[in-house]
Amino acid sequence: MRALLKSPALWMILPSFALTMFVIGYPILDLAWTSLQEVSRFGKLLGFAGTMNYGELVGDQLFIDSLVRTGIWTACVVTGAIVISLPVALILNEDFIGRGVARIIIMLPWSISLTMTAVVWRWALNGRAGLFNATFMNLGWMQEPVEWLATAQLGFTVEIMVGILVSIPFTTTIFLGGLSSMPQDVYEAAYVDGASRWQQFRHITLPLLKPFMNIAIVLNVIYVFNSFPIIWVMTEGGPANGTDILVTYLYKLAFRFGQLGKASAISLAMFFILFAFTLLYVWLVMRGEGETGADSDEPAPEEEGAPA
Amino acid sequence: MKLSMSPRVKRSILCWLLLLPLVVVILFPFGVMFVTALRPRDELFVFPPTWAFSRFVWTNITEMWEKVNFGTALLNSIYVSVSSTLLALLFGIPAAYALSRFRFPGKGLYRQFLLVTQMMSPIVLVLGLFRLMVVFGLVNSPNSLVFTYAAFNLAFTIWMLQSYFNTIPHELEEAAWIDGASAFVSITRIFLPLAVPAMVVTAIFTFINSWNEFVLALTMLRESDSYTLPVMVFAQVAGRYQIEWHHVMAATLMATVPVAVVFSWLQRYLIRGMALGAVK
Repeated sequence: MRALLKSPALWMILPSFALTMFVIGYPILDLAWTSLQEVSRFGKLLGFAGTMNYGELVGDQLFIDSLVRTGIWTACVVTGAIVISLPVALILNEDFIGRGVARIIIMLPWSISLTMTAVVWRWALNGRAGLFNATFMNLGWMQEPVEWLATAQLGFTVEIMVGILVSIPFTTTIFLGGLSSMPQDVYEAAYVDGASRWQQFRHITLPLLKPFMNIAIVLNVIYVFNSFPIIWVMTEGGPANGTDILVTYLYKLAFRFGQLGKASAISLAMFFILFAFTLLYVWLVMRGEGETGADSDEPAPEEEGAPA
Repeated sequence: MKLSMSPRVKRSILCWLLLLPLVVVILFPFGVMFVTALRPRDELFVFPPTWAFSRFVWTNITEMWEKVNFGTALLNSIYVSVSSTLLALLFGIPAAYALSRFRFPGKGLYRQFLLVTQMMSPIVLVLGLFRLMVVFGLVNSPNSLVFTYAAFNLAFTIWMLQSYFNTIPHELEEAAWIDGASAFVSITRIFLPLAVPAMVVTAIFTFINSWNEFVLALTMLRESDSYTLPVMVFAQVAGRYQIEWHHVMAATLMATVPVAVVFSWLQRYLIRGMALGAVK
């Protein structure tokens, strides 16, 4: 123990550990405790309630609807982002004139806060004067302007599209990282053997990209599952809670309806879902390192001393 | 020469054609911001809707600046983002150095702890954080955001810094020790100056993350005087009967373009950092 306290490394790590425990660790414990209590509108704990809050959630139709919608939202946005980002990354990995500019444009949505993006799209999709309608009508694709955000179904679809659009830069970045680590000699060998470009893609690029694909899927699932600003800014979960996902419903319960016990219960449930995804991510990364351990560019020996 | 260029030119045209739909969709919001921000107010709602407008009204921007209190929100955003970035660096640099240079018990465990915090999103903890800030009397104070943003960015900061620190040979510090320098001197005089570029890049990404954060700012900041830019813009559209869209778009334009320019300049470092640290 004394040797441990003398280690400078521990003292160097301590401030960061303390801050994260304080800001991230403590609220989780507080939420766990609150979720087992009866809570007043103003956050006063009224006494132990066991699993009452969780029971109320299961019986709450709005919660079930939000849960289902969260599944649809996450699945659609992640699938869309992957399907679009893979070809985009392949193109950006080619050598062509203006590639630097193309990369900058594709990465651009990443730099802008989701709030701002959502505000701009809310205006662009305005049913009366939005420039989205203007463009489609000028092109002759529509005769009448459409109220994009007025109904839940259409609004939610549009939100999914915006969600896909803002997920593309991050996903493309992961694929580009993967593509830049591909061994060139394999392609040369395949070329010499007379493989077509499609065969090269199908039998070399795709299998080698698989670990990056897994990581892109898991990280995107985590981010999209948690994504709040797009739906909150464009429709606030409305009309009639028709576009609520778990995070927006959680926010309404906590800061509008004053149902703090239920909100804590949702938070905790989401924490465990996220934790499960994180474990999946760790497992994928570890497995990936095991497979490609030989050509990993991190100095591996230094790792062995550390007990995991 | 011309013959040998020809396949590359063809390929370039093909690549750009394939990317064109996405490029148009990405640039569309910028066009919307620009065209709305500078249009006369009475040409906002015309039928049929159109991109064209009669004249540029640059005074929209100065008008908006006064009316929505843009300057205050800008200062708040700068204060919160700069402070949280400095705090994240102050706590992140020693941790990254320790992870890069020392062996110690619990090192692997600490990395996994950082990973879990990296995956936690503010929205899941927002109620717990709000209760915490109530206890400390920090509700409505920008400092509540300084602490939380720093904490949520620490994992990323440590990761990025560590992956760069690993590339700085430790022979340099050892040489300084042999020459009689103390550990402190060798770190501050030899190591840290070499690590400055890494710190700058990491700082800028942490800054952009803090600059763009929404849900915590929306929750903690209750009065318009303490709003950061995203909350201020949101407040212009949320629950209002009449939204002054030309002012809103002028505000988003002023708030996004500077960040977008800095980001464009730095995005290649992010790709490299991802390849080195975050994904591995």
